Amino acid sequence: MNILAFLARRLAYSAVVLIGVLIVVFALVHLVPGDPVRIALGTRYTPEAYQALREASGLDQPLVSQFLSYLGHAATGNLGVSFRNGDPVTEVLLERLPATVSLAVVGIVLALLIALPAGIYSALREGRMSDAVVRITSQFGVSVPDFWLGILLVALFSTVLGWLPTSGYRPLFDDPGGWLRHVILPGLTVGLVAGAIMTRYVRSAVLEVAAMGYVRTARSKGLAPRVVTMRHTVRNALVPILTITGIQLATILSGIIVVEVVFAWPGLGRLVFNSVAARDYPVIQGAVLLMAVLFLAVNLLVDVLYAVVDPRIRLS
Amino acid sequence: MDMRLVAAVLAAVIVAASTACSPGQRVDLGQDAGHLIAAISGEPDQLDPQKTSAYFSFEVLENVFDTLVEPDADLTMRPALAESWETSPDQLVWTFRLRPGVTFHDGSPFTAADVVYSYRRIIDEKLTNSDKFSAVTDVSAVDDHTVRITLARPTPNLLTNLGGFKGMAIVSRRNVEDGSIATHPVGTGPFAFAGQKSGDSITLRANAQYWDGGPRVPGVTFRFISEPSTALSALQAGEIDWTDAVPAQRVTQLRNDDSLRLAVTPSNDYWYLALNQARPPWNDVRVRQAVAYAIDRPSIVQATSYGTAQANQLAIPEGNPWFVPYDRYRQDIDRAKDLLRQSGTAPATMDLLVTSEYPQTVTAAQVIADNLEPLGITTSIRTVDFATWLDEQNNGNFDMLMMGWLGNIDPDDFYYAQHHTNGTSNAQKFSDPRVDRLLDAGRTETDPQARKDDYAEAATLIADEVSYIFLYNPAVIQAWSPDLTGYDARRDKAIRFRGAALDAEASR
Repeated sequence: MNILAFLARRLAYSAVVLIGVLIVVFALVHLVPGDPVRIALGTRYTPEAYQALREASGLDQPLVSQFLSYLGHAATGNLGVSFRNGDPVTEVLLERLPATVSLAVVGIVLALLIALPAGIYSALREGRMSDAVVRITSQFGVSVPDFWLGILLVALFSTVLGWLPTSGYRPLFDDPGGWLRHVILPGLTVGLVAGAIMTRYVRSAVLEVAAMGYVRTARSKGLAPRVVTMRHTVRNALVPILTITGIQLATILSGIIVVEVVFAWPGLGRLVFNSVAARDYPVIQGAVLLMAVLFLAVNLLVDVLYAVVDPRIRLS
Repeated sequence: MDMRLVAAVLAAVIVAASTACSPGQRVDLGQDAGHLIAAISGEPDQLDPQKTSAYFSFEVLENVFDTLVEPDADLTMRPALAESWETSPDQLVWTFRLRPGVTFHDGSPFTAADVVYSYRRIIDEKLTNSDKFSAVTDVSAVDDHTVRITLARPTPNLLTNLGGFKGMAIVSRRNVEDGSIATHPVGTGPFAFAGQKSGDSITLRANAQYWDGGPRVPGVTFRFISEPSTALSALQAGEIDWTDAVPAQRVTQLRNDDSLRLAVTPSNDYWYLALNQARPPWNDVRVRQAVAYAIDRPSIVQATSYGTAQANQLAIPEGNPWFVPYDRYRQDIDRAKDLLRQSGTAPATMDLLVTSEYPQTVTAAQVIADNLEPLGITTSIRTVDFATWLDEQNNGNFDMLMMGWLGNIDPDDFYYAQHHTNGTSNAQKFSDPRVDRLLDAGRTETDPQARKDDYAEAATLIADEVSYIFLYNPAVIQAWSPDLTGYDARRDKAIRFRGAALDAEASR
């Protein structure tokens, strides 16, 4: 099957998945107790104000007609307006997206920079002291709460050393230097935790391949250890590594609220968190839809990359 | 993969990052150079002052909008957009003379029509603050600079109602009607709205034409930093100039820190425990009093605020003109057990409704549960999100709940809605004809001493009869850079930067 037909089929599947996601999200946000109108009015609630706001937001309509009208608008890119301030949801999401993507990309790159060398090194020295050090360190990285790690990094690099800003975000294209300075600490927090998780996967993937007969053959025919490692072992371990990288990236993209909170990072995670607290249905629905799109896109990318790293895998 | 290559790349990234900035450098955004940078702990939900109820919004909007009158440092009302006013002998007609020459940020002049429009909007659209106008029968413009407010009954706290907070702000008709007020507000205040970055910050620029004199900083940037330890680090690193996201557990240590200014000011807010009197056994006043005697306020204050709050058996804190000394319910377990015995109440399990939105309620609930145990009352703490909490409160679906009231000034704000039989926030279903009579009288009593006596008596009755079990007044905790001058923490938590200045030499 050629790549275009593959993409077309995957996109059709994705549309079905997205509608399914929307139905679930729509049902969930409306089933959770808590009334957005009541919250918007806060402690200064009166029955008259309540009724007026409820009608103005369309919440007095039956649920099914609310959903159908939402679907119709969503198909044209109109995700409605926030209950809280009337901002168009599409605009708010697009404003938040670059921060989330920045953090995810930097985080996953740093994670790979840690996990690939550490995992491969540890696998090649299986059972030795250095393997144990890597494994214990990565276990520590997996267990460490990311907010605590973030606060420690701020304390070291911002408060003590004064090298990097404590928090905040600058858009990449407005201010590349500022972007880099601001993204390093949150990116490192994300990358260290994800890197620790991935190190363990890389290690076991490499170990599995290293036990294969062809690796032994390669070694016995006298190839240099480096060539055996890079060409025969790591190359063949890339598929499972790609899988875990995709999963980690998708997880990071769908919001790392804790890291966003610690670094005052204007990403999607905090937006969803605040919107759930305020029962701002249009924003929750829009953000979940966007996350689903990102998740599907990452999966698609991973599937395409499978075929690139391993020609035996056919796109179908 | 070559380990040396990886190490080189990592080193390059770190070096590039660290040489790109110097210690304590603050990041200027070009046009925002010289701005006062304030960190608040959350993002405003919207910027329409008449519609929002979020404190984060008011922190920003305090600097953008004006009211006819406004509270000074002692919370007495002083002229703002109204220069002067007079009251008819029967107290039913108030005439306000407006300040001439004031303009909105879009350049349009401020006139009596704007006042009438703003107030009519609150009344006609039944906005949440319309209860402030419950006695008002008419608002009209006599001429361009005179507004007349007609009342159905004397209202001694009218000025507090009109100026107590920016929810009563004078807005621009054009700004409302073109639908932009929620995202691009236009006011008459010392700073004009300049822009918002979703999830990141709001920027205001100075209004040089401000009637009380133009601000001394070119603008204010409010950053949203919800993690207090981050905000504090940012302050210590010189990235921000001011914050109210200060962890209470750090207060003792920060008091001795010369590198920043710390304010711990008693606020008008208060936190309380309420017992649902629609459910037995709370319909028996003796059982309610037993709980009041069992509560250990000092422990609650310590647990919720690391001792920065002030324990109080009534709502209004010491130092406030309406303060009434009251000390009936020192913790006394024997007395509590006696009262419970007299009432014949059997041991029971009671739920206590609290919300993770206000972590102090969750913390205090644990102390309260411990306090009630000797009485044979087993407390089942129910922690829900705030939306659910509000639903449960409104449906009366609780045995006990803990919550606070924020931002009150006049005693009518403190007591009427909460304790009058027909009060809109009387979720605990308290009803006492003496309290009703006193609270009604306080609304119309124009003699200040008589009014004060009415509220003192009402407050005492409310505590004696245990409508609420008042717990404590939290402190306003703010920290700012020594370079920031002309700013003071206010007990009503209004954040006013109109007089603030930054010592440019020291900070950059």
